[in-house]
Amino acid sequence: MSEITYESAPVTVREDICEAHQRAWKRIAAPGTWWKGRERVDIAAETRNAFTCNLCRQRKAALSPNAVEGKHESVGDLREEVVDVIHRVATDPGRLSKAWFDKVRASGLEDTRYVEIIGVLVTVVSIDTFCRGIGVPPHPLPEPVEGEPSRHRPEGAKPEGAWVPMIAHGKEKGPDVDLYQEGRHPNVGRALSLVPDEVRGMKDCIGAQYFPFHQVIDVRRKRAISRAQMELIAGRVSALNQCFY
Amino acid sequence: MSGEEYDLSAITGEGSCDSGVPHGKALVRFAESVLGEDEIAVASSRQEVLDKVGPEGFVDAAAVVATFSTVDRIADSTGIPLDGMLDVMTVDMRTQIGLDRFSSAANTPRPGTLKRGLSRILKPVAPFGMKIMLAIQGKPKG
Repeated sequence: MSEITYESAPVTVREDICEAHQRAWKRIAAPGTWWKGRERVDIAAETRNAFTCNLCRQRKAALSPNAVEGKHESVGDLREEVVDVIHRVATDPGRLSKAWFDKVRASGLEDTRYVEIIGVLVTVVSIDTFCRGIGVPPHPLPEPVEGEPSRHRPEGAKPEGAWVPMIAHGKEKGPDVDLYQEGRHPNVGRALSLVPDEVRGMKDCIGAQYFPFHQVIDVRRKRAISRAQMELIAGRVSALNQCFY
Repeated sequence: MSGEEYDLSAITGEGSCDSGVPHGKALVRFAESVLGEDEIAVASSRQEVLDKVGPEGFVDAAAVVATFSTVDRIADSTGIPLDGMLDVMTVDMRTQIGLDRFSSAANTPRPGTLKRGLSRILKPVAPFGMKIMLAIQGKPKG
């Protein structure tokens, strides 16, 4: 499997970002918690495909995404409801609703598999967006690795006011006792904890690209640009994505 | 929370985009172009940011755009509410910059009278509270 590299980038990319992205790409290819490696790579491919889907474009332009009926243009063999999740979360996340999520669940997609889809999807979006930002082509998707998923459902995951169960602070048990060991995590750092490996993966990427979650509250922290500059970018991105959180 | 004043309308694009942040307009344009589809705009914006903040700053800017493209999707696809203290502290700010109009606002219970009152009481002292908390933590390592 070829590794991610930024050697051809117009600027030098920090080693920790490059290494985090390499680990992320290996994680996508490997058997996950509920999806096999092949399926995870298919989810990644479908994530990329979502941005050229005509149905998604029409829905995005409509006053309500529910006003436009149709079938997504998909590239693989994933079930229709999985394709819909990927396309909706990728292209129009700001208009997702509890009613939509309930419909997804009613279609038979388990909450665990849903969370893992989100984990793979956001990894691809993150790295692809970074590539677009610095002006390099998206990396080729990795070759899937054979093996069975672990099928680990954490004991401590409970309903906590979100659409999916989460592990609360202090409720990390057994193999997940490390999950929040650095300190208090915001809700977004716990949102994928129904599939703990997706939290670990997300933290790895975000820690290199931004800050580890437990350091975010410290406004003195900065990188080569100031904290105010970072938060201005963050705020504008979130406003464009219509993200209230 | 840092005690500094900035024009938050730059975030929603409804103001002059002169946020008061150094190179703020260029950074906002960069975020918009990376998320957009205009290849000429994104190429031009990359160069502008590179010229203004240097190569390391440019990489960090791209990394922040990438990070929040992730964070936003995680938040909106899992329906998480705002964290407790953040919810209380930002009641007025959210209304001021129009965040309440986003669909995902439905994931956080609307603030009642008590929360609004608490927010107004805490708002003037929040920067001091932050300074005390950070002083207790000590200087950031690395």
